[in-house]
Amino acid sequence: MALSRARVLPVAPPRARRPRPGLFASIVRHWADYLYVAPALLVMVLVIGYPVVYTVYLSFFETPPRSGDWVWTGVGNYTETLGSARFWDTTRNTFYWTVGSTALAFVIGFGAALVVQRQFVGRGIVRAILLIPYVISHVAAAYVWRWFLHSDYGLVSGTLLDWGVIERPLVLFDSIRWVMPTVILVNVWKEFPFVMIMLLAGLQTVPDQLMRAAKVDGAGAWNRFWHVTVPHLKGVILITTLLLFVVNLNSFTLVYLMTGGGPAGASQLWITEIYNIAFRSLRYGEASAYSVVLFLIMLSMGYFYVKALTGGGKSQRRPA
Amino acid sequence: MSANLSTGVGASGGSTADAGLDGRDARIAAAIATPTAPSRPAVRSRVQPATRRRARRRCRPTPIGVLGWVFLAVLLFFTVVPMAWMVSTSLKSSFAAIDQPPRWIPAEPTIVNYTKLLNPDETVGADFLRYMRNSVWVSTATTVLGLIVAVPASYAFSRFAFPGRDTLFFSVLVRNMFPTVVFLIPLFILMRRLTLVDSHWSLILTYLTFGLPLSIWLLKGFYDNIPVELEQAARIDGATRFQAFYLIVMPLSSPGIIATAIYAFIQGWNEYVYARTFIQSDRLLTMPVGLQKFFTEYASDWPGLMAASFIMSVPVVVLFLALQKYFVQALTEGAVKS
Repeated sequence: MALSRARVLPVAPPRARRPRPGLFASIVRHWADYLYVAPALLVMVLVIGYPVVYTVYLSFFETPPRSGDWVWTGVGNYTETLGSARFWDTTRNTFYWTVGSTALAFVIGFGAALVVQRQFVGRGIVRAILLIPYVISHVAAAYVWRWFLHSDYGLVSGTLLDWGVIERPLVLFDSIRWVMPTVILVNVWKEFPFVMIMLLAGLQTVPDQLMRAAKVDGAGAWNRFWHVTVPHLKGVILITTLLLFVVNLNSFTLVYLMTGGGPAGASQLWITEIYNIAFRSLRYGEASAYSVVLFLIMLSMGYFYVKALTGGGKSQRRPA
Repeated sequence: MSANLSTGVGASGGSTADAGLDGRDARIAAAIATPTAPSRPAVRSRVQPATRRRARRRCRPTPIGVLGWVFLAVLLFFTVVPMAWMVSTSLKSSFAAIDQPPRWIPAEPTIVNYTKLLNPDETVGADFLRYMRNSVWVSTATTVLGLIVAVPASYAFSRFAFPGRDTLFFSVLVRNMFPTVVFLIPLFILMRRLTLVDSHWSLILTYLTFGLPLSIWLLKGFYDNIPVELEQAARIDGATRFQAFYLIVMPLSSPGIIATAIYAFIQGWNEYVYARTFIQSDRLLTMPVGLQKFFTEYASDWPGLMAASFIMSVPVVVLFLALQKYFVQALTEGAVKS
């Protein structure tokens, strides 16, 4: 992402972050600069920093629902969480959900971007229609799909019965076998436009001359795609998949409102499980321990994310 | 691409931009533009494979091309049918909605579901309109405050060289890593301490941090791409730093500002988990939670639920579609390129 641009830029000036004797003096000299970022940082510290610290702290306590007395249990909550058989079932579901949704949404979204980038009549309208699911709220999407795939009155089940394709109503959300593929499908419906819009933006930056040159040299469509488009979009692809992955790992509303984790925990994810432990069973301590585990996984993802975003730390700087 | 080239050249009779790019391209362009027949074979022999393939492509669709159209058709079907079913159901009566086999187009369309929801004299309508007002207020406040906070911050991250700048920038971006549900408990306790529970400000404050990382990232990309010389010129002409920012940088980065504003608004409009946890009294609920409440109370009224979902989706869909070109532009200019 940063590579193509960095090549034409002059050599970056020395970084300000390098430790040197006058660090304090430099902070004082730039005091006014901090005023610009202060409001943003204040909000972030309040709404992010505090909860992180608090969650970690809470995870070492037993928090009985009915009393305010917290009991120190050390790593008790962690061993309990990681030791339960349920945890590993939930982990499997979460893995299935996250990887499945991300991969499918990415492939479909990329395909959509490539097709929609072609010149054709009505392209604007097609593009607009494909973007709609992205902005529909998760709550509305959950109910629309529940109704659409309703086993008794839904359009899919009813129509297939009518045509004689199936003999019994199509049970999807209440079937242990089909519930995960179904919720993943709904999630992909909601997410592929995000991939499409990101890659569409990326495709606009592929230089025309490069494409034309490849074509003149006799490269076929597949070769042009694989050797010109993909390498050029590497940065965007990386960021998009990472963002999707994290969003899916965090995704709560869709599954919670469509299945509530059921039937029999067949679609229970980490995040819905944490919600249930905290707000149904009111075991905050255990939920916090669970959160910390999840948080550590995300943080390692975050490391790659930041690396990808900054293109290996090559942020350009212009003195004011 | 091939169509592009030939039509462009045909219209202008040999575009200089094309000629300047590439010798071979220019030759092809000249060949196509020349009306006389004899020059054609000569050129074709020189750049044979590409030209021939190009000519073939224009007459006959390639397998990849056909595959693309089929894919697009399936995708459109997949996207549209659930939404169409939502609209179709919302125009049916409760009895018609459970007719078997299902009717794609309502036999006796009725707008009673919509009038019920939008009528302030009925209980459902009064509730629904109040949820909508709450959502409008929360989303608007989030958007405006988000811009007030994000614009100066991203400008500083782009332009100033203060110690710890990069570290601070990354720490803002790491926000995207944090699972929202994980923060529910501590944030709830925090909001209770700030006596903000059951107030819209708890939501506004929380939503602010959702949008900030993306806003700051996008806007910083924009500011990075605006030459600092423009500002310097304005400063030399006597503008203050603020004037230089307000008169030069702001207009140039307006696509980024519009894009981040839409994003913040949509996030605020659609958010469910925090709204459900922080808001307890019914009169303060926002639309997503209101929709869920509607579902639990009138479980079998699918047409009503679909009508409510439709009304709820219209504002953000219209807003997004109207301004989506800024979104793509902002991603292209600000994020993807930089």
